[in-house]
Amino acid sequence: MEKKEHPVVEKKKISPDKCVVTGKGSWYFPLADIYETADNFTVLIDMPGVDSENITVDMRDNELIVNGAVSQEAYANEKVIYSEYNIGHYHRHFVISDAINRDKIEAKMSDGVLSLVLPKAEHVKPRKIEVKAE
Amino acid sequence: MNLINWDKKNPLSSLTHIQHEMSDLLDFLSSAHQTENYISAEFPQIIVSINEENIIVRAELPGVKTADLNIQVVDEVLTIKGERKPATETQKINYLRRERDYGTFARSIMLPERVDIEKVAASYKNGVLTVKLPKSAEAKPKQIEIKRV
Repeated sequence: MEKKEHPVVEKKKISPDKCVVTGKGSWYFPLADIYETADNFTVLIDMPGVDSENITVDMRDNELIVNGAVSQEAYANEKVIYSEYNIGHYHRHFVISDAINRDKIEAKMSDGVLSLVLPKAEHVKPRKIEVKAE
Repeated sequence: MNLINWDKKNPLSSLTHIQHEMSDLLDFLSSAHQTENYISAEFPQIIVSINEENIIVRAELPGVKTADLNIQVVDEVLTIKGERKPATETQKINYLRRERDYGTFARSIMLPERVDIEKVAASYKNGVLTVKLPKSAEAKPKQIEIKRV
């Protein structure tokens, strides 16, 4: 595998026109990868600092809504002297089409990365049609 | 593509979207000289904090395995090295959207005070690396008694 230099990650703040931002603290737009395999779509979302208990994944109508809350408790007795990134909650939503089997969506959190596995619905999976000789 | 962008619902919103992208870009360019956030073009981004006993360096490294991380302290310089690996799947994968990046990184930080190298501890939880560096005895504040003569 080719090695490459890691570029800078810039946190994008959610601007109020894109969705209604309510609640305490700032909200950020987490970076996500979406890829497809033969049976599933997988969404990987970077949400560093979020505990698996503080993540909610909701399916509402056509939307898959991901919220992650971060805690800043660790900083309570510390004085920040240099800071390059902002800490805030994460929110992102995706519109899901009929191609996904909504009952079988799975979510897993590990090392600050949320992975959502969206299984393809039967009707979109590639199928071979046999040609009958007459 | 089966995952439809939220903004596509309203045909006019793509125009608003462009407008906001432009204004974000302008904000970014004009803030480049002012805020600390964009000075460093380094990965990982860090936050350094202190309390009475320790210097604490935190870095957001989601999805990096601890085995792929290498942390060193030499004198007053902390070095964080590592590699973030892309998603591994047994079957063939086809990317539809790619925002997260991967690759090798290395970064050195000059610490504000001398630290006790023997007692440096690092932990990794939920994608955040925390390096706790206890201040060395010489760097801690010392109470000086005043003698009456």
